[in-house]
Amino acid sequence: MVRNIVILGGNSHPKLVESVCAVLGIPQCNRVLGKFECGESRCEIKDSVRGKDVYIIQTGFGGNGAKLNDHFMDLCIMISACKTGSARRVTAVLPLFPYSRQPDLPYNKAGAPLFKAPSENGKKEYTFESVPATPGPGQPKSATLSNGANGADITSRLLKTSLANGNGPQSPPATSKVNGDTYFANGVNGHHHSDSTSSQGLFTKHDYENLSLVSAFQAKPGYKHWVAQAGTLVANLLTCAGADHVITMDLHDPQVQGFFDVPVDNLYGRPLLKRYIMQNIPNYKDAVIISPDAGGAKRATAIADSLGVDFALIHKVDSSGHLLERRPTKITERQNASMMLVGNVADRVCILIDDIVDTGNTITRAAKLLKKEGASKIYALVTHGVFSGDAINRINASALDKIVVTNSVPQHEHKALFGARLDVLDISPIFAEAIRRVHHGESISVLFNYD
Amino acid sequence: MSAEMANEIKLISGRSHPDLSDKIAKRLGIEVARTISLNYSNQETSFTVGESVRDEDVFIIQSTATGDVNEGLMELLIIISACRTASARRITAVIPNFPYARQDKKDKSRAPISARLVANMLQTAGANHIVTVDLHASQIQGFFSVPVDNLYAEPSFLRYIRENFNPEDCVIVSPDAGGAKRATSIADHLNTAFALIHKERPRPNVVGRMVLVGNVEDKVAILVDDMADTCGTLVKAASVLKENGAKSVLALVTHGILSGSAIETLNGSVLSALVVTNTVPLGDKVERCPKLRVIDISPTIAEAIRRTHNGESVSYLFTHAPV
Repeated sequence: MVRNIVILGGNSHPKLVESVCAVLGIPQCNRVLGKFECGESRCEIKDSVRGKDVYIIQTGFGGNGAKLNDHFMDLCIMISACKTGSARRVTAVLPLFPYSRQPDLPYNKAGAPLFKAPSENGKKEYTFESVPATPGPGQPKSATLSNGANGADITSRLLKTSLANGNGPQSPPATSKVNGDTYFANGVNGHHHSDSTSSQGLFTKHDYENLSLVSAFQAKPGYKHWVAQAGTLVANLLTCAGADHVITMDLHDPQVQGFFDVPVDNLYGRPLLKRYIMQNIPNYKDAVIISPDAGGAKRATAIADSLGVDFALIHKVDSSGHLLERRPTKITERQNASMMLVGNVADRVCILIDDIVDTGNTITRAAKLLKKEGASKIYALVTHGVFSGDAINRINASALDKIVVTNSVPQHEHKALFGARLDVLDISPIFAEAIRRVHHGESISVLFNYD
Repeated sequence: MSAEMANEIKLISGRSHPDLSDKIAKRLGIEVARTISLNYSNQETSFTVGESVRDEDVFIIQSTATGDVNEGLMELLIIISACRTASARRITAVIPNFPYARQDKKDKSRAPISARLVANMLQTAGANHIVTVDLHASQIQGFFSVPVDNLYAEPSFLRYIRENFNPEDCVIVSPDAGGAKRATSIADHLNTAFALIHKERPRPNVVGRMVLVGNVEDKVAILVDDMADTCGTLVKAASVLKENGAKSVLALVTHGILSGSAIETLNGSVLSALVVTNTVPLGDKVERCPKLRVIDISPTIAEAIRRTHNGESVSYLFTHAPV
């Protein structure tokens, strides 16, 4: 029994809130949380929070009849309501931190970044702005011109100008069309985001709702379009709402902690995953721990080291020489050719380790590659199982024998669709213990490395 | 010349009300900036910028679509923050219908003052200036430490009444005590009579008993309010006015939120017309409700944008509606 502590749950993951409360042995705070008909969130906190230590549990997951942004706004409103209700301290507990992972480049369904040439039908959208959007000194900036009836005539002439002006610092998208494949051959060097891939890469981290919009979108000639990164904003919004402390788990980028001016406790799902390996994978000492991309290598090596197990790494090859010598003929060949396995997995059990599985592209491709390299059995151990888009079908059709996730987001629906292929690990004891320790002012570092 | 040219109006449209953005852009004679907002399959919002906003005067137009308030708000915050990181000179959030404007006070214990939260969030994201229309409570301006231009639909309403009715035949009616100020202002400008309906509201979105103060007999009763949500109040007020001998009853409302079964309520009511501005996207509601008339507010917003950009006074717009 813990005193002077209030656990307030959002709508995103009621089951986790229940089990955290059960572990702590206290009831949930009474609250009304819903939506008015106009779409505004409605929040009433029924129990007093004056002078209390309030923990608000809301995970970054859209579901339970509301969208992700609704849940996030609910969280901010609850924080603010507790603050104005004279709570002593408000801690936001976000098992999955929303917007912690945003790719730098937009992707389409096929996964190719949208820096290729504008299609023919897009030319009509060109305006008078055919000079690069960052003009040099003395360069006149033409006014915008709305497309009149003779728009097609003007644009065809303008396109020529845009090609003529194309030798700026960044070649405008129009020229890449002309170069076709050679653009990639020459252009990959200047293009080395770890997540971004050339057309041979074909990795989708996200699927979009409306793909026709994405493919129709074109930046102004000469301007390389970019995607807003909302991580800092989300951090600032939480602080602005009044959060005094944030508890989360397995942040995709640990740097997100630095976005906050308040303390952030980033818990690890690693001990849980490790325990699962030791208890459920027979002969795990002979298995290989695999990181499906270079970014997750640290996470995977930490587990491999502490278990004394071999480690291998898959990395995505954007510009390796042999890819360009021999043009891949089949799409599957192309997909696998862009991934390279470093290490040996033949006839061994493979354990893929990652922090998040969203559309499932990375791990299913990795699994395919491992199978091709002769792996006997493939497990995937992932902290956050979001499974958005067609992830479930994709994973069910893949070479993965087992996928293990935590309940940082609600998993009961996923469990029903996956059946025995999915194992869910319970994180509520970790969060309950973190809440208890933070409340009593004890160190939580023991949670980072227990066995 | 080139130094001035470097700072231009960049109009960015959120997803909630592209129609209004297009009208404003057309009015200003510019094009909406090339940007795109999408949701990933994990429902996170993604915003892509397709042209430079460096050192530009950025105006972001985002209304709040009924039912999707939080989506629109998060999108707006992400756009603002993106423009700030892209070195925009000034970022003005144009929010015709300010979200959470009704949650503006701590009316019971631990009630959230969500309007203030929204104000803080907008500033945190990086908004330097806010333009809005008919704030539910003008005190919300005090939640901000950046300038807020609260435009009025009143001049447009005055013109509508003058064009369609003889002001002498009209009575301006406020459906509740809170809106009395708004209604008296219109009545004063038209030099017409004024009446007020007093109501008891036991719970939110539920309308209690109503009492008419004033005389509406054989007159055209014009109900004036700032927002029509479920329309329960308006419809009930209309029947009270009809019972008290009004010739006909119409309603002039700035924000036609029209949530839930509002359209059905309106269609079955004694209201002869509901006149709203297009601050809120109406979707197919105009087709579904023959009583719904729409006044275009985009000239007022466009003019406010132009004047703000040029550093001119906006107060002319408080009394005049651009044609």
